[in-house]
Amino acid sequence: MAKSNPPFMSGVPELLLLRLLDQREMYGYELVRSIKQATDEAISLGEGVIYPVLHGLERNGSLKSRRKAVGGRTRVYYSLTAKGRQRLKKLSTDWRRIQNGITNALETPAHVQA
Amino acid sequence: MSRPDFGILRKQLLEAGISPRRTYRAITELNDHFDDIVDAAMADGRSRAEAERIATEALGELSEVSAAMAQQPQLKSWAWHHPRLALLVYPLACLAALPAVPLIAGVQHASEIGRWLTCLALGAFVTALMFLVLQLSILLA
Repeated sequence: MAKSNPPFMSGVPELLLLRLLDQREMYGYELVRSIKQATDEAISLGEGVIYPVLHGLERNGSLKSRRKAVGGRTRVYYSLTAKGRQRLKKLSTDWRRIQNGITNALETPAHVQA
Repeated sequence: MSRPDFGILRKQLLEAGISPRRTYRAITELNDHFDDIVDAAMADGRSRAEAERIATEALGELSEVSAAMAQQPQLKSWAWHHPRLALLVYPLACLAALPAVPLIAGVQHASEIGRWLTCLALGAFVTALMFLVLQLSILLA
C-alpha cells in the first residue's frame, strides 16, 4: 500500500525542508533521507509530495535551485534565500507556540466551567 | 512491478494547467528519485523487482503529487492565468515566427544545404560546359 499524507501534516514538510536547507543545499532524495534521519523516521510521508512543496517554495522566492551533474545524473539542488530564512523564522516561532500549547494541554488538561 | 506511470502524471499536471517546463522538471526529479531508491535498495542486496516495489511504495500515490501541484496557482502556466489573452497572443506569435522558420531550419541544416548548393553549382557548371562544347562543335564544324 502506498503512503499517504493526512491533512494534519500540512505545513510540517515545509518547515522541515526550510530547516534542512538552512544548513546546506540539497536535492530531493537527499532531503527525504535527511528528514527521516532528523526526525528518527517519526515522519513518514509519500516521498513524491516533497517536489510540489519544493516547487511552491521556489516559486514564492523562499528557495532557489540550480542544476548540477553528479554521477551521470543531473540533480536539482535547492538552497535557501533571504526570504526563505524569514519564512523559516516565522514558521519555527509558530510551531514552537503550537507545541507549547499542546504540551501544556497534555500536562494540565483544563476544563471550562459550565 | 516496474516504474510508476509518469506519463499519466505528466498528463494530469498539464491538464491542471501546470507549465510544461515545470511539469518536465518535476517528472525528471521524480524519475531520478525513483532511480536513487532503486539503487539504494539494490545496494542492500534486494533484487531489481523488489527494489522497484520498494521505490514505488516510497514515492507514494502520484495522484497526490499532481493534486498538490494543482492546488498551487503560482505553479500554473501563463496561459492558464490568462486564457483569453493566450488565445490572441499565441496565434499572433506563431504568425510572426513563420518567416523565421526557414532561417532556423537553414541554420540547423547548414551543412546539408551547403552540400546541396555545391551539387547544384557543379551541375550548372557541367551543363554550361556541355553547351559550350556543343556550341564550339557547331561553330567549328
